Amino acid sequence: MESSELTTYREYLGHFRRTLEHQCEGLSPEQLASRSAAPSTLSLLGLVRHLALVEQIWFRRALQGLTDEPALFSDQADPDHEFNGFAGTAAEAAEAFDAWRDQIAKADTWLDTQDDITMADEVVYNSDGKRSSKRDILVHLIEEYARHCGHADLLRERIDGRTDL
Amino acid sequence: MTVSGAFERHPGGEVATYAGYLAGHRAVLAAKCAGLPPAQLAARSMPPSDLSLLGLVRHLGRVEHYWFEMVIDERLDQPRLDDDDPTGGFHRVEPTLDSVAQAFGRWQEQIEYADACLERLGEVDPGSPRRTRDGELVSVRDVLVHLVEEYARHNGHADLLREAIDGRAGS
Repeated sequence: MESSELTTYREYLGHFRRTLEHQCEGLSPEQLASRSAAPSTLSLLGLVRHLALVEQIWFRRALQGLTDEPALFSDQADPDHEFNGFAGTAAEAAEAFDAWRDQIAKADTWLDTQDDITMADEVVYNSDGKRSSKRDILVHLIEEYARHCGHADLLRERIDGRTDL
Repeated sequence: MTVSGAFERHPGGEVATYAGYLAGHRAVLAAKCAGLPPAQLAARSMPPSDLSLLGLVRHLGRVEHYWFEMVIDERLDQPRLDDDDPTGGFHRVEPTLDSVAQAFGRWQEQIEYADACLERLGEVDPGSPRRTRDGELVSVRDVLVHLVEEYARHNGHADLLREAIDGRAGS
């Protein structure tokens, strides 16, 4: 039984990062970029780009206050640029996975500095000065990953029939 | 576009945080089902997947019953709901008003039970141990975070099922 709060969060977060990785395994760049659950505009590659940005927004900007880094896969002209701004080349897929893994490594380095006592600490999480606890943000990250893994379940099943429930 | 909604803060202690997320996900699933007739609720709108919105509602009633009533409240001496269905209730739905009423009625009943259970839990030590039906020791924290992520993942399914039915997306 895992009784530590932080360890519980890290195990769930790790589970969903591995689940998304697993749902993308063995697919060509074209398959990764395909909108296989149309009319939805989601794709597995779009999810990887989006979650790289999500990791950056929460772990770098909100939890560590590093607000000067340019936002990944973002374009002011399109709020959904992570999901729209690619053609499906091998270079785009490699760039997305590299950026995502880089953010995960940086997030894990920060998580190593935390413990159960710091989970109740509050941080300013947006530019309006709103505050919430580190706990709240980590549970949010788990549920956001989980929901996107739900999207990935159906995107993958519609590409080659593979299920991972 | 089917990306989940904006972040809303959940103040309070641990159990209150988990309860807040859980309530949010129940509301999302209810909204994903809102306004649809039985035929659309039971539709397998993302083939080859066999998932339907009604199947999700039936399944999540079963999930609430197991984790709150059987595990957290330690009443393992009863069968799991839909225990005799190998699909965990997902397939035990039909495009009829009766089937819809049954699935939603059971889900609502289990949510009421769960909310009373959460009230009783208050801010107990979330590290308190419980035992699953398989004999595994888990913490109350582990059960509640699991419920949040299980709902969230199924709401990811619900996002795409609903968008395929009538184009409605968003949180």
